[in-house]
Amino acid sequence: MVEFSPEVIDTVIRAAALLGAGFAMIAGIGPGIGQGYAAGKAVESVARDPEARGNIITTMLLGQAVAESTGIYSLVIAIVLIFTI
Amino acid sequence: MVEFSPETIEMVIRSVSVIAAGLALIAGIGPGVGMGFAAGKATSAVRRQPEARGSIVTTMLLGQIISGSTGIYSLVIAIYLVFT
Amino acid sequence: MKYINDPNRMQIEIIKRTYMLSIIPIVYALIAGEFETLLGFILGLIISTLLLRLRVLNIERSLDMPEGKADTFIRNRYFIEYLIYFAVLVVAKRNPSLNFLATAVGLFMMKFTVIIWAIFDMAKGGLQNKLKDYKDLKEDKYEKGGQ
Repeated sequence: MVEFSPEVIDTVIRAAALLGAGFAMIAGIGPGIGQGYAAGKAVESVARDPEARGNIITTMLLGQAVAESTGIYSLVIAIVLIFTI
Repeated sequence: MVEFSPETIEMVIRSVSVIAAGLALIAGIGPGVGMGFAAGKATSAVRRQPEARGSIVTTMLLGQIISGSTGIYSLVIAIYLVFT
Repeated sequence: MKYINDPNRMQIEIIKRTYMLSIIPIVYALIAGEFETLLGFILGLIISTLLLRLRVLNIERSLDMPEGKADTFIRNRYFIEYLIYFAVLVVAKRNPSLNFLATAVGLFMMKFTVIIWAIFDMAKGGLQNKLKDYKDLKEDKYEKGGQ
């Protein structure tokens, strides 16, 4: 039977936490694509109806700010994994 | 009982954090793809309505300011992982 | 957002509002006596201001291209921008007289400004609509009372 010393266990756990932080940040792809898609659609609708551009731009910015929250979740998880484990 | 020497421990932590930094940098693809999509839509919009050019430039600029920052999050995490 | 028609005027407005909002962290850093935070924040702010100008020039150039070409052009320019961010953050991390997180916050500052501006704008529009409805209601009542 193989036994691990406490240092080995600590090392493995810390290494796994760092790797998990790296994996967590892959989630940053999603908000990027989504926000760009929203900007493209907003540009299309500004060209279709230039009178309503103020409302369109405000709606676009608020939608992007909400879509951003997914990226911030992954950032928070990554920071927690790095600094607490 | 399996034991590691201190050099092995440091080597494992360092190599794993470099791999994790590389994985975190993958997130930089997303804003690039999204911004490219927005730029393609903007060119076709300018073809359709050349007089709305100023509003289109402003809309794209505000969209790019917001969507560019998702990449910086991953960059901050990656640089922190490499340099500590 | 009054000057949406005019990109040049809009840039000046965004930069002005960002600097006005960033007085708060600068005063905080001065009071707390953290000189590294101040320097890092100012570096991030300068880089984000310059990148705003770069983005406007790239967008103006991309509008005259065919659709697929504009797509690849803006994507490649974004990766160049990403490299600039990378260089700035590496410099901030390696230099002991610059605070790393303060530099990152300075790079994000323009985004916070735009979101706060949009929220204020929406609140103002909603308030004006409510006031208009209220006035209409009042006028209706007076008319009914007059009859």
